[in-house]
Amino acid sequence: MFVLSFQTRAEVWGVVNQFTLDNYKNIFQPVYLNTFVESFKLALTSTLLICAIGYPFGYFMAKLPAQWKKRVMLLLMIPFWTSSLIRLYGWIIIFRANGTLDKLLMGLGLTDGPLKLLYTYPAVVVGMVYALLQFMILAVYSSAEKMDWSLVEAARDLGATPLKAFLTVTLKLTLPGLLSGVILTFIPSMGLFFIADILGGNKVVLVGSLIQDQLMKAHNWPFAAALSVVLMILTSLMISLYKRVTHTTELEGIL
Amino acid sequence: MKKFFALALSLALALTAFAGCSSTSASASTPSAASGSTAGSAGTAASGELNLYTWEGMFPQEVLDAFTAETGIKVNYSSFDTDETMLAKLETAKGGDYDVVIADDYIIETAIAEGLVMELDKSKIANIGNVNPVYQGQFFDPEDAYTVPYGAGVQTIVYNPDLVDIEINGYEDLWDAALESSLGITSNFRVMNGMALKIAGESYNTEDVAAIEAAGAKLLELAPNIRLIKDDNLQDDLISGEISAGVMYTSQVTMACLANPDLKVVYPSEGIGFGIMAQFVPVNAPNPDAAHAFIDYILRPEVSKQCFEYIGYYCTNQAADALIEDAYQSFLTLPEDFSADNMEMIQNISAEAMEAHTKVWTEFRTACGQ
Repeated sequence: MFVLSFQTRAEVWGVVNQFTLDNYKNIFQPVYLNTFVESFKLALTSTLLICAIGYPFGYFMAKLPAQWKKRVMLLLMIPFWTSSLIRLYGWIIIFRANGTLDKLLMGLGLTDGPLKLLYTYPAVVVGMVYALLQFMILAVYSSAEKMDWSLVEAARDLGATPLKAFLTVTLKLTLPGLLSGVILTFIPSMGLFFIADILGGNKVVLVGSLIQDQLMKAHNWPFAAALSVVLMILTSLMISLYKRVTHTTELEGIL
Repeated sequence: MKKFFALALSLALALTAFAGCSSTSASASTPSAASGSTAGSAGTAASGELNLYTWEGMFPQEVLDAFTAETGIKVNYSSFDTDETMLAKLETAKGGDYDVVIADDYIIETAIAEGLVMELDKSKIANIGNVNPVYQGQFFDPEDAYTVPYGAGVQTIVYNPDLVDIEINGYEDLWDAALESSLGITSNFRVMNGMALKIAGESYNTEDVAAIEAAGAKLLELAPNIRLIKDDNLQDDLISGEISAGVMYTSQVTMACLANPDLKVVYPSEGIGFGIMAQFVPVNAPNPDAAHAFIDYILRPEVSKQCFEYIGYYCTNQAADALIEDAYQSFLTLPEDFSADNMEMIQNISAEAMEAHTKVWTEFRTACGQ
């Protein structure tokens, strides 16, 4: 792929063995740079939302009695038994005009007519959060589960308020789980373009979708390869930057 | 449990290994079979197996079964997703493995240029005269030496008059503010950018980058009206009312109209684009006699009728036109007052023009999401 990215496309089909940097220059056109920005924005939005929902979920799940832990774990796993595409089509049924959500809202008298919810940006974000939430929950759960709760009791005994005990003890001890959860959700969300294509009606143009277009429709394989190389470099850069900023040398479960 | 899993896995592995063996041995043994049967004349001697390679759902099973019953030739149907996959596979097989391939016009032009297509022996295709001349002599095969058309896509606009307040006669009407956020289009960017080119009176195939960029600027004004860009099953969104008008593939128009007969189909006043799917025989096909027999069989009017009603593309067999049932007449055959003068096919263009198209398209898609 790296080699291909320096080759030249043939007039109609295939590639010519001729060295060029044009494929990389091409990426700096605003329209193509913008797809990187869009991908980053969507990944960031979904990751933040996933943190907000996934952290409390994993935290309280670790506090459940053992029997309930197993049950909740089973419930978390069941969706993985079907294909992720089928689960996405489920969201289409919920969001579409006069679909489940529309009917519910109209039934409650909150809205008068169909809300054109499908093929919008929020629909894409919901799809992303739904697809990746489990990874965050499990990462947080695994570090909260291993935590020594007597440390929290000790802090409370020494006069810390519940909030202070949480911030100074619990949060610090579960941080590795949270941080690896962030990586586990952020990196895949840079690449999950089919969610944007299906729930967003192809109107949110991510790098992945651009690469697909260049490969399958424009027959410009070298440009697609250059885009992929840049995407990989950017992703690795983000991981190392992230590690430096958060001072983590060891992430729970990964790396 | 673990043991069982391992057993199942190794079984699957072994099976795929066998599958690999059998397909290579089949292709290794077929050349001799083919050379044996070329001695027979006029395609009647064809026997053995026929490897058919096309998209999924291109033939009703009854037609394939009837062909086997009549000729004794077994049909092995394999399918591809996109033309590009087909060409890549055919290149790897060096024009072998398959006997009949059905694909789109532009990719066939490339396949012929790459030397992957065999010239047809018309003496073995008695029904060749049934082909509608409108679809013959086109850019991808000017002499009709390599291909026989199998269905045509004619670019129309389809809309639901209950949901649309204006009357749509051409592409220009799609820009009307009354259609805000209610249009659905496919992601075939040559067709979509082509709408703006047609409004400007340009050819679909212009290689003038300035003209393509001007079309792109025009297309940006269409963005607020676009609700959805999607290739698969776009007709469902029209039937369900998610969109109220659309520019979609011909088979989708047919399905939409069958589900809702009130929908209106418009031949755009600015000019009509069309594409042809055609059958060809790869240059090293294992069983060319069976291939010719198959092509000839499909050209029989009553067989063609069954096929076109099934796939929902325009009938390219004029002898079958009259047989097509009334319910399908209006969207499988061209209207009587139809003139072929303002029809144009989308052809392969220069790399530079193609890049301009993809850039325009990416800008347009981004604008639709904002």
